[in-house]
Amino acid sequence: MSLLSQVLTILLNGLQQGAIYVLLAVGLSIILGTLKFVNFAHGALYLLGAYLGLFITTEIQLTNGMLPEWGITTFGIGLGFLAALVVVPIVTFFVGLAMERFVAQPFYDRPDTDQILVTFGLAVIFQEALRALIGGDSQSLPQPGWASGPIALPIIGNFPRWRLGVIVITAVLVLFVYALVEYTDFGLIVRAGTMDSEMVRLLGIRLDRPYLVVFGIGAALAGVAGVVGGPLANVNPNIGTEQLVPAFLTVVIGGVGKIEGAVLAGLLLGTLQVVLIQTGFAAWNRVGIYVLAALILLVRPQGLLGSEVSVE
Amino acid sequence: MPSERGSVSRRQLLKTAGAASTIGLTGLAGCSGDGGGGGGGGGSEYPALGNFPVEGDTVTFGFNVPTSGPYSSEGQDELRAYNLAKDHLNNGGGWVDSFPDLSGDGVLGKTVESVEGDTATDADTARQSAQRMINRDNAVMISGGSSSAVAIAVQGLCQEEKVMFMACLTHSNDTTGKDCARYGFREMFNAYMTGQALAPVLEREYGSDNQFYQLYADYSWGQTVQESMNQFLTEIGWEQIDSVPTPLGTSDFSSYLSEAANSDADVLLLDHYGLDGANSVSQAVDAGLDEDMEIVVPLYNRPMAQAAGGAIEGVFGTIAWDSQIDNEPSNSFTQAFEEEYERVPSGPAQLAYAQTLQYAAAVERAETFYPPEVIRELEGYEYSNIGMGEELMRACDHQAQRAIPVARGLPESEQSSGNFIEIVELTAREDVGYSCDSGPAAECELGEYGDE
Repeated sequence: MSLLSQVLTILLNGLQQGAIYVLLAVGLSIILGTLKFVNFAHGALYLLGAYLGLFITTEIQLTNGMLPEWGITTFGIGLGFLAALVVVPIVTFFVGLAMERFVAQPFYDRPDTDQILVTFGLAVIFQEALRALIGGDSQSLPQPGWASGPIALPIIGNFPRWRLGVIVITAVLVLFVYALVEYTDFGLIVRAGTMDSEMVRLLGIRLDRPYLVVFGIGAALAGVAGVVGGPLANVNPNIGTEQLVPAFLTVVIGGVGKIEGAVLAGLLLGTLQVVLIQTGFAAWNRVGIYVLAALILLVRPQGLLGSEVSVE
Repeated sequence: MPSERGSVSRRQLLKTAGAASTIGLTGLAGCSGDGGGGGGGGGSEYPALGNFPVEGDTVTFGFNVPTSGPYSSEGQDELRAYNLAKDHLNNGGGWVDSFPDLSGDGVLGKTVESVEGDTATDADTARQSAQRMINRDNAVMISGGSSSAVAIAVQGLCQEEKVMFMACLTHSNDTTGKDCARYGFREMFNAYMTGQALAPVLEREYGSDNQFYQLYADYSWGQTVQESMNQFLTEIGWEQIDSVPTPLGTSDFSSYLSEAANSDADVLLLDHYGLDGANSVSQAVDAGLDEDMEIVVPLYNRPMAQAAGGAIEGVFGTIAWDSQIDNEPSNSFTQAFEEEYERVPSGPAQLAYAQTLQYAAAVERAETFYPPEVIRELEGYEYSNIGMGEELMRACDHQAQRAIPVARGLPESEQSSGNFIEIVELTAREDVGYSCDSGPAAECELGEYGDE
């Protein structure tokens, strides 16, 4: 193994490790930046995405929870992975719309502690309801057949095909959202609303619809993250909560409301974890991301790419 | 808190106090000795100890298994087997019809009831769950454990509480080594024996000049597997490049596997079990590691092979038991299990079933639930009734001396028949094991019977 290929392997692993953080953080970040709404149910959307993906992709036998007691022993319709990749973001987009309308809207003018409480409460309810229905078992979401096995890359050698796919899918989605926010009228309104919503309203532009769409997009990204990330690990009722904290860290390190910040921070965290694991400090890989976050925030409280103006 | 001999444990106090709440504490002074005779199972012959005597016409077993966490799939299969064992003990069927000591109308005439607890594959949770079973439900025997950390924790508690523990799936050397207990018995073999059984097969298949790399689950079990594999592979001339711990419950092994791939080893040992094992072996094949090195999973089972799918092809490992083992006890258990649950039982299920029935049979032979007598029935007991040939439950460390199946994963094309592994060797009992003063047994201090 040459040093070059080792460095490249670590970078590539860091990319795929960070990809899921990025997908979650981009949605979180635009919701937090634009709507000033702290959504602790974002992890639950990831969880929903993963289980919807499982439902659409496979047929699994249920052995635990209430559903089997009611006589429902199979879960899923076995349509395959591509179907899940298309359907899940659409479903979670609409779930996001409903969340904005019924959960976020009534709480826009309330302190963020209230927002945290209500969204975290919802997330826990969803998680535990899921556990009660189908049990706490871990399921594996099979990766698509066309993307299983290794792919031989130059210099690096073998790399799992699907993990490369995760990096590509993430890049495409993030670029799409970035273009939407940077280069469209919709994006202009959203950005203007972020800066000074009162002035936008005075100009006669209604903000409620763009806000609704922003929430939907964030939710759709979380849903896709669930489908894409499912095959990389296991799917069980805890994964939403497990992903929530790193996702928030990513937002804060990158700078609230900054898509490019979320990307940079996600990749940093992912790479740090991989470096710690591959240099024999595996036990520290969870702690490591907090240490990094603390160091960065000490130096730049607004995050790496955050604006000097504090977000209130 | 171990209860000192002669003193009254808090639980006995509560039980007695519950039975006669008006009696002051002074009234108890003379009670602890005669155990409230008249209870079934040889009542007045023996003093009260643990949850003995068993009052009423039912007896409770505690089934403490993981129904969540990385070993939940194993735990759920164990639970199916435990419930099957309970049903057979009460109504006949399965091995109950062939064990001469068992009648099919309960144990010592008492109907068997059970309580269940989820250990969550976590030692603390398991200990609390077992404590509840002992205190609240008066369980007279606890069985379970899929993780050795769990089995060791519960076994220690059972020793303190003087309640029997019939270990189910636990493969760490420590369970019958430095953490052995008078009140615990293990049918399952251990990592040391796995090393003994696997090394000759690996030498035959892959030659005697190999470098190997280990990833191991970072707790009691993985650590002893890692040590034993290193010991026995070094003896056949192999050289270990590195061994790296992974936390229990890791689901993404990609970075660890990258590092293993960089090591240029010839053989990669994945000392993981349950879901962790299925994940690590699938991800290793996904990353193409099998193209450059041979993968070995020292301990696996049917559900793991099924979950790993095509990735398990050609992978060697030891298994507790498999339904393909063709003899009368094996076949009758498989048949009874399939009739009840419409699925093929796993190795852990057979262990759970066997351990429950062995306990019940020992009670019948002892003619009492009094634990020291039941323990003496099991110590040095020779049997050949559970489908693994002639066995001995050794008195010095409570470790069953038995044959060990070595398996190899089948290619995906052959898995459609419902078989995921083939058994390449049944390593004879004589070829594995160690004497009472060597190997893990050298560190074993069993502790008290409780009637000394």
